[in-house]
Formats: sequence, C-alpha cells, structure tokens
Amino acid sequence: MNPLILTILLFALGLGTTITFMSSHWLFAWMGLEINTLAIIPLMTQHHHPRSTEAGTKYFLAQATAAAMLLFASVTNAWLTGQWDILQMSHPLPTTMITLALALKIGLAPLHSWLPEVLQGLDLTTGLILSTWQKLAPFALLLQINPTNPTVLIMLGITSTLVGGWGGLNQTQLRKILAYSSIAHLGWMALILPFYPSLTLLALLTYLIMTLSTFLVFKLNKATNINTLAISWSKTPIITTLTPLLLLSLGGLPPLTGFMPKWFILQELTKQNLPLLATFTALTALLSLYFYLRLSYSMTLTMFPNNLMGTTPWRFFTQSTSLPLALSISMAIALLPLAPAMMALLTP
Amino acid sequence: MTFIMYLLLFLLILGLVAVASNPSPYFAALGLVLVAGMGCGVLVSHGGPFLSLILFLIYLGGMLVVFAYSAALAAEPYPETWGSRPVIMSVMIYVLGVLLVGGIFWGGWYESSWMSVDELMEFSILRGDMAGVAMMYSSGGLMLIISAWVLLLTLFVVLELTRGLNRGALRAV
Amino acid sequence: MTPTHFAFSSAFMLGLMGLAFHRQHLLSALLCLEGMMLSLFIALSLWTLQLDSTSFSASPMLLLAFSACEASAGLALLVATTRTHGSDQLQNLNLLQC
Repeated sequence: MNPLILTILLFALGLGTTITFMSSHWLFAWMGLEINTLAIIPLMTQHHHPRSTEAGTKYFLAQATAAAMLLFASVTNAWLTGQWDILQMSHPLPTTMITLALALKIGLAPLHSWLPEVLQGLDLTTGLILSTWQKLAPFALLLQINPTNPTVLIMLGITSTLVGGWGGLNQTQLRKILAYSSIAHLGWMALILPFYPSLTLLALLTYLIMTLSTFLVFKLNKATNINTLAISWSKTPIITTLTPLLLLSLGGLPPLTGFMPKWFILQELTKQNLPLLATFTALTALLSLYFYLRLSYSMTLTMFPNNLMGTTPWRFFTQSTSLPLALSISMAIALLPLAPAMMALLTP
Repeated sequence: MTFIMYLLLFLLILGLVAVASNPSPYFAALGLVLVAGMGCGVLVSHGGPFLSLILFLIYLGGMLVVFAYSAALAAEPYPETWGSRPVIMSVMIYVLGVLLVGGIFWGGWYESSWMSVDELMEFSILRGDMAGVAMMYSSGGLMLIISAWVLLLTLFVVLELTRGLNRGALRAV
Repeated sequence: MTPTHFAFSSAFMLGLMGLAFHRQHLLSALLCLEGMMLSLFIALSLWTLQLDSTSFSASPMLLLAFSACEASAGLALLVATTRTHGSDQLQNLNLLQC
C-alpha cells in the first residue's frame, strides 16, 4: 500500500474514534463509527488475498448493520422523547436496541460470530488494530448510555464469557483463539458495566495492554498457529520464557495483571448480592484458562524435534523495534501492585 | 389527502417487503425504486419539497444507476421473481407479520396531529427545510467539512479495495 | 405511535430481517442495507418536518452522504469478492470457517 494512502487511512481511523469520543449527539457518534469502519476495510484487504477480502466483506456487513441499527435506535429515541443527547437516554426500548447494536459492533456473544472469522482473515497488525483500537469507540458509547435495566448487559456478559471460553477450546489457529479470548474479556466488561462502570474501564485498559503484547509477541514470532509457537524458543528465547506469564495473565492468574480486573469484578458482584453470577463467571474463566495453558504448554514445556541448523535463528540480529513489546509485556505481567493507584485514577 | 397518505405509507412498506423477500437483485432494486418514490411522496406531503427532491435526484439518479450496473455484473440465467415459491412464501410471512404488529400498535392517534412544516406560510418562497439545509454553510460548516472529507476518504477506500491486480479471474489489463 | 412512525419502523425492521435471514447474493444484502438507510433518511426528515425544527434538516443530507459512502464501499467489496471468489454468492464466502 502506498504510504500516503496508509497515512490517510490511519488518520481517518484516529479521526473516527476521536469524533465518537467527543460527540454528545447520536448522529455525530454514528458518523465517527462509520468513519472508523470505512477506514479499516482497506487495511484489512491490503493483500487482496481471498481470505482477507472475505474477512473485509464480513466485517463490513456486520458493522454496517450495527451502525444502521444504532442510528435507527437513536431516531426512535428522538421520536419518542425528542432527545438526541447520548447522556440522556431515558426510554428503555431505544436503550436496549443501542446496547444490542454496540454488542454487535464489538462482538459480544450471541452476536459474536463474525469476530473469529474476520480476525482469522487478517494479518497480525490489522488484527491488533481490530481487537484493540476498534473497541474503544463503541465502549465510549456503552459507558455513556447508562442503562436503566441491567438484565440485557448481564445476559450478554454471561453468554460472552461462556462462549469465549467454550469456542476457543477446539481451535489450533492463534488468531481464532485470540478472538475468543477477546470475546471472553469483553463479556467480563459488559457484565460489570451496569454496576460499576469504572471497573469496565479498568478491565478494558488491562485487556488492551495484554492483547497488545500478545499480538506483538505473535508478530515477532510470525506465528499463526500452535505449531509455529512450538519452535519459538529457537528464535527468541527470552520472549519465550515471558510469554507463558503473559498468557496466564490473560487467563487471570493471581500475581499477574490479568487478575486485577477479575478480582475487582468478582468482589463487586458479591457486594451487589449476586454470588451465583460471580461463581458462574469465575467458573467460565476456567474454560479460557484451559486454552491459554495449552498455548503455554506447547510453547515452553515441549521440545520440538528440530535439526541442528534449525535451532540457531536466535543468533541473528532482529530488525524489529522492541520498545513497544518490552513496555507492554512488562505492564501486562507486573501491574497488579499498582491496582489501588489505577482504581483511584479511574474512579470519578 | 389522508387516503393518499395511507396509500403512500402502505406502498412504502410493500416496497421494503419486495426488497426483503429475497428475489434476484434486479427485482430487489426495483423494489428499492418503489420505496424511494413513495418516500418522496411522503416527504412532499409533509411539507419538505427540497429533501424530497434531494432524495429523488441524488438517490434514484446516483445510487440506483450504480446498483443497476452491478446487478448486471451479478447476472444469473434464471432470476427469481416474486412469483416463485420461496419468495412468495417469505412475502406472505412478512406481510402477515407487518399486519400483526400494526394491529398491536394501532390506535391512540388522531388525524389532526398530522402537521406539515410551515403551514401558515403558504406564500413564502423559502421553505423551512431549504433554510435548514442552508445552515450547513454557516453554523454547520464543520459537518460539511467532515462529510466532504468522508467522501474523499471513500474514494481512497474504493481505489484500494478494487486494486488487486494479480489475483482472481477479473483483472485490470 | 403515528402511522408514519409505524411505517418507517416496520420498513427498517423488514430491511433488517431481510438482511439477517435469507441472503443469497452479496448484492441483495447490500440492497437491503440501502433499504434500511433509505428508511432512516425518511425517518430523520419526517422528524425534522413534524417537530418543525428546521435547523435539523441538514441531518438527512449528512445521512445520505454517509450512506453513499457505505454503499460505494460495499460495491467495491462486491467487485473484490467477485474477483477472488468467482461469484457474488454469499455461500462462497466460506474460507474462514473453522
């Protein structure tokens, strides 16, 4: 792709999210989302491979439907209450429809089935943009609409954590596994949203950091399935020792960063007298933990048969910049002691 | 007037049924033409001639020509019309569903609330919707800039999407 | 619920159902999207006209510009998939299933 066009597209990607962030009017927010969708499609299909074209088509259909439904819900809101403000949604019908449309946009189960297929068709950089940056604008809207009835979000959240764990069990392709892990994390965020929105922000932040570092690790290894991960010790030994910690942090094991949002969310759910819900979500996290464990097992605990020359690529000097990976992976592993500071930062 | 209005609204819904019931793309485009024409009628009778004109000229003139062009690209030997069995089945299901929902939601509405804009200004040349659209050049200038920028962006998007020079059967020579 | 409100709501819902349930061609999915956008255009204009808030009547034009962008991106994707998959049948888009 021409660097000039790439610059224009990336600028439009930033512009769309910024417009959605700064808007208080539904039409303006919808415009931002549309600009976002339009700008990422050529990035998806930049190799013109059949798979990437198909991924772009599926993404376009899902996002255009979701955007149209969002605008329809806000028009209905305007007809019923005469309001266009995002912060003043009072009627339950448009609020529910907007919640569902945004769930389709970010891929919450049961509206998730486009996400694994789309992510499987992309290269890792675009997949990184899709699973981090593209989630921001819909979440900004979800955090603002202040749902009156928490049932929809709880159902979406529960289904997402379950489906995200369950769907990833049988996958061998890393991008599909990452898509299901993304669905599971988004489920946690949607679950806590009606009770404590600051925790949603916290979970989104840690999700962004962990997903960023996971994608960067896979990109460094040029890995798209589990088999490729098994020889990563011969390419980058240090990263190979760190990656299981990163994956377990995604799974949410205690001394790592990923434990922080899960811990706070479970605590808040029990405080809200929902112990059954908390238990169920904690159990569905075990499903996700299974495939993270499988990834780390095949990455570090197995010795793949290899010839002598195949074990030496780590001696070569790598060309890629290592600063983003270093920063994000250390944050994704060791941020748990900063939990009180982060909570103080995010609580209004 | 009320009768014409009901007729327009009914044909609008019927046009969407014709699009949604999965016929071949040619006939679906025909249904879309019907919807656009009826929408123009509805807008005119609500007192918005400028928006109606925009809808007629821009939408029918621009968009549907493009769709007709690509319907030619997707031509098939035995197109399905509304007479074939699965299509007529879904048409009936949709019409029944609309009637059912309409039966539930009907009522609680009286005819005198049917207002059109600027009703007391019959002799004015400048209609309300025209003045509103003209505000895009003054206080709504930011929106105009954003729309123009998005149209430019779409140009690049389309160029990048249709570029694929070395894959597939259809190629740029 | 006035008849106009009912008319555009059911028109939008019909377009959504058509897009969701039975689509054979990518082109007819795009046509359904266009139908949804058209009903949204009518809804926005009628809201402007009925509430007499004429300063809002630029918004249907903006909607029209954005839906034109969406339609052209969809048609470009149609051309791209026809190149890579041979036809515009949606059942051919099955390379990414598990």
